[in-house]
Amino acid sequence: MLNAQIKKSFPGFNLDVELSLGLELMVILGPSGSGKTMTLQCIAGLAKPKEGYIELGRQVLFDSSTKINLPPQKRRVGFVFQNYALFPHMTVGENVAYSIRNLPKDESLARVSQLLDMMNISAFDKRYPRQLSAGQQQRVAIARALAPNPEILLLDEPFSALDSQLRERMELELLDLQRECKCSMLLVTHDLAEGYKLGAKVAVYHEGHIAQCGTRQQVFLSPVNRTVARLTGVRNFMDGEICRIEPPYVWVQIAAWGTQLKAVLPSDKELAAGRKVVVGIRPEFIQIAQKESSENVLASRVLQVVEGISNMTYRFAVESDQHEQHLLNVLISKSDDTLLHEDHMCQLYLPPAHLIVIPE
Amino acid sequence: MNVSYWTPIWISIKTVLTSTVITFFLGIAAAHWMSRYNGKLKTIIDGIFLIPMVLPPTVVGYWLLMFFGINGVGGKFFDLFNYKIAFTWQATVIAAVIMAFPLMYMTARGAFEQVEPNLQKAARTLGASEWRIFWTVTMPLAWPGVAAATVLALARTLGEFGATMMLAGNIPTKTSTIPIAIYYAINGNDDHRAQVLSLVVMAFSFVSLALVSVWNRRSKRTKGMMISE
Repeated sequence: MLNAQIKKSFPGFNLDVELSLGLELMVILGPSGSGKTMTLQCIAGLAKPKEGYIELGRQVLFDSSTKINLPPQKRRVGFVFQNYALFPHMTVGENVAYSIRNLPKDESLARVSQLLDMMNISAFDKRYPRQLSAGQQQRVAIARALAPNPEILLLDEPFSALDSQLRERMELELLDLQRECKCSMLLVTHDLAEGYKLGAKVAVYHEGHIAQCGTRQQVFLSPVNRTVARLTGVRNFMDGEICRIEPPYVWVQIAAWGTQLKAVLPSDKELAAGRKVVVGIRPEFIQIAQKESSENVLASRVLQVVEGISNMTYRFAVESDQHEQHLLNVLISKSDDTLLHEDHMCQLYLPPAHLIVIPE
Repeated sequence: MNVSYWTPIWISIKTVLTSTVITFFLGIAAAHWMSRYNGKLKTIIDGIFLIPMVLPPTVVGYWLLMFFGINGVGGKFFDLFNYKIAFTWQATVIAAVIMAFPLMYMTARGAFEQVEPNLQKAARTLGASEWRIFWTVTMPLAWPGVAAATVLALARTLGEFGATMMLAGNIPTKTSTIPIAIYYAINGNDDHRAQVLSLVVMAFSFVSLALVSVWNRRSKRTKGMMISE
């Protein structure tokens, strides 16, 4: 159980966050320079907050009001560094045993072999870190951090140096590990897909503050503001005003297009007719209208096409009476079999269930 | 005759060994401390540590003599215990330590600063005391550089002339190290003695340089192997 309240300031940057997590994996998601790593360092005692309070289990690690500041050695925090920080002059076994040299020899050996087994690296016991692949080094780093039985495991962008295939495997292994050891884990990443996959709870960082913290459904499906929506991958925004509410739907007048969009009424937000809102949608949820429909359909022209491995990214210009050109980013799977070219005209359908209505 | 050949060599060996041991510990302690210290006085302390390297040795020797001489603060202090520093064997050691310290300090500090800070941070989160981190992480990884620094300091000590001359003088049975003995041999037209002693120093310096280059090669190789990404 971690409760942390951290304030720290640098020239031109202020970190001011509050986090709380139980025996679960929480992801801190945010762009680089938003204070994610600094948060982990403050919890581990590698950096000192200017003000705040950090409590782990029943122990107070830091309290600026009573001047408590435990050294990192006494915090029972496991830390997995971005570049792993394995000791290059020690073997895998020695690395993992570094924190438990006070145990009797046979107990320490048993603990090391148990950890190496758990991380599937028993065969590399006698090897040096430089003789291992990145994925194996990653496993050693996790085993080493777990050796002294920490109360919490902090992982700083642990998978950023791995190729995509290995990264997916390590993500699954980390989820398994969390389920097995039922411990608290706090993982920092700037990768949206990774954050969504791993985090039962997600805290979105923006310029040193937590823009939103909640379950991943809350954060990804019902962002509290435009910033969170943008940081969690929503690429299309339309300003509008609510014209009527008839649960479970809400109709929003989009001024720029002179049309109305029908969206599912969010249950957790206060909305009323006349309220200014922004409507967002992820590129992958916009569809090309197959049948004639009168609702949520926009006539659009293809401006740009970028081909990916399994999908196409289109940039559309929405046709409207206004002079201002309004763009929509659309991601369509290649299995849809609808290949469009530049200047192609078509009807885009914005499904009501995927429209995110955010009060402004 | 034999005795007078061996006396300066023996005095030099004693001086070099004692002062290298002292320089080694003082140097790495100062280097380790300064590689982590980030206070306001960093530049000033750094300057004080390095100044013997840029001053003429005779100037360093002059100030040492002013300090340790009978009328100096240090001299008076030691006089309380009926102890004399200037013009004794201990004076050759003090002069050698002061002159070799900057080399040891500078090279060792470079080696400590090369050690990836995340390794020390990782050791801290793993519960290791600062003392244990120094001996199990920092020192083993900085060792090639520290060893090179020691060899450089040792060679500097062996060649020390100016400061030693000022503080310890030339007392043939007590303070006459090889470089000083060579100078006085030439002055006294004893070419043969100067030649023999010079060859001894050259042989030793050659071995020292060879050692440094071996260490450098090793250090490069280990560092190359340490790139783990």
